[in-house]
Amino acid sequence: MLDIEQIRKTFHPGTPNEVRALQGVDLKIDEGSFVIVIGTNGSGKSTLLNAVAGSFFVDTGRLKLNGQDITHWPEHRRARFIGRVFQNPFTGTAPSMTIAENLALAARRGRMRGLGWALNPSIRHELYERVRGMGLGLENRLNNAIGSLSGGQRQSLTLLMAGLIKPDLLLLDEHTAALDPKSADQVIRLTEEVIRRDKLTTMMVTHSMQQAAHLGDRLIMMVRGRIIYDFQGAEKRRLTPEDLLDRFDEVRRSDLLDETAASMLQRQYV
Amino acid sequence: MTQLIGSYSMGLILSLLAVGVLISFRILAFRDLTVEGSITLGGAVAAAMLVSGWNPWLATFVAFLAGGCAGAVTGVLATKLKINGLLAGILVMTALYSVNLRVMGRSNLPLMNEKSLMTFAQHLGTAEQPTASGGTWTIGRWVIRTADLRVIGFLTVVIGSVGAVMYAFFQTNLGLAMRATGDNEQMICALGVEVGWMQTFGLAISNGLVALSGALLVQYQGYADVQMGMGMVVWGMASVIIGESLVGSRQIGMLLIGSVMGSVLFRLLVANALRQGLNPNDLKLATALFVLIALVGPSAVDAASKKFRTAVKT
Repeated sequence: MLDIEQIRKTFHPGTPNEVRALQGVDLKIDEGSFVIVIGTNGSGKSTLLNAVAGSFFVDTGRLKLNGQDITHWPEHRRARFIGRVFQNPFTGTAPSMTIAENLALAARRGRMRGLGWALNPSIRHELYERVRGMGLGLENRLNNAIGSLSGGQRQSLTLLMAGLIKPDLLLLDEHTAALDPKSADQVIRLTEEVIRRDKLTTMMVTHSMQQAAHLGDRLIMMVRGRIIYDFQGAEKRRLTPEDLLDRFDEVRRSDLLDETAASMLQRQYV
Repeated sequence: MTQLIGSYSMGLILSLLAVGVLISFRILAFRDLTVEGSITLGGAVAAAMLVSGWNPWLATFVAFLAGGCAGAVTGVLATKLKINGLLAGILVMTALYSVNLRVMGRSNLPLMNEKSLMTFAQHLGTAEQPTASGGTWTIGRWVIRTADLRVIGFLTVVIGSVGAVMYAFFQTNLGLAMRATGDNEQMICALGVEVGWMQTFGLAISNGLVALSGALLVQYQGYADVQMGMGMVVWGMASVIIGESLVGSRQIGMLLIGSVMGSVLFRLLVANALRQGLNPNDLKLATALFVLIALVGPSAVDAASKKFRTAVKT
């Protein structure tokens, strides 16, 4: 389904701001699997998602989606196969346009956009039904500007938009991180529902150990641009939030060790 | 009265400029200065073709296309060659100055007795030959030339149709995508729209309308001048800003109507100011100050009232 082969990405190479964000990531994701991505700050988890989505081109390595090599496809071309929800609720919707107009835009994700009416009665009716299905009571506010909605509502709509045409791959980039706990719960419930109903292949980055332990059927943990753990099947099901925190502690300890070792070496040689 | 009618007609003609500016500055959020060159380009193309005896409808349409090309060039410079949008506009505007001189062959091109859309409009629906005085109506103390009224009627129909077409366009899948491009670039890219192409296309439409405005302006005032584009960006912005405050809505239809209303009102305001003794040389300064106040004013008033309220509380 999705093959990530040895991808590397360095931002601002050769400058003091050089960041080696991805340092050889290998990952094969099967159709229908729901992969949770966790990692420390700056570990490259969001960068990995953006590399798949095409926000930038990778320096080396290859990306294949459904057997097609998409390594050199620009972002808008990959959009035909990929649905996305962003961390910032403002990123996923056009604020001055109405709910219905936003949904109509999503209803043609990756397709030709011609001179047909964007909101003809049949599309309007279908969108009404889809929004009603979310159970947020937004179906009667289809002509309101998105900007008037709360972050949680906007994120729910972005999720609906990402799945409006069934994507081959759904990318969720910490999509509940900016929400209050209640809205976050609601969005997570909706996420599970959408993924289960349409059997969507999904990659979800999260900071929440609760979400990481309870959602998905596979979990990868990233540190410094590499995947260091990959739990699948029964192993993933047994994971608890505490286990994950222990793993983070381990990483931190080895980081500390690295630093002390480095300073020791420095004392010896400099 | 003739003056009032004249200002009203000019306001209608320049409302196409306002709609063009609305599309680039507001809908695409692209600061496009090509406008100053493309309005002259539209005028130059129309004038040159009319003088050579072409059909006025065709001349006006070609002017529209020429403006569209100018906008597309700015779009390509900005999106494909990654030049800063402001700079891209300035480059094209500067280049157009020479292009316009080439098209006209000299810096001022008068229309003498050439057939134009305005001569066509002046005797619309009447057999009478247009004469210097023409037919007149007398309402109280006012004497109104019927030819002038026909021109206003004609312009109203033209502007109304262009507005209706633009409104319809912005309800289509393509038009919706264009609005989203200015509203949230990241989002529309994630939905599979190539932002650069969409901006280029939008700039082409915008400058096409601006050139159309220039073509009508030339036929109305009876000459094309290479300097006629100077200050037109600010003029268009002033119209859009007035329009926004008139309709008080961000809905696309209301914005379009507002731009037309804003353009007419602004033209009338200017005509009145000139009659009250504003030195025409100061007109551009006054326009710029007006736009500055309209841009900074609301936030300054907000800040001042906030300060005032906290001062009252403590």
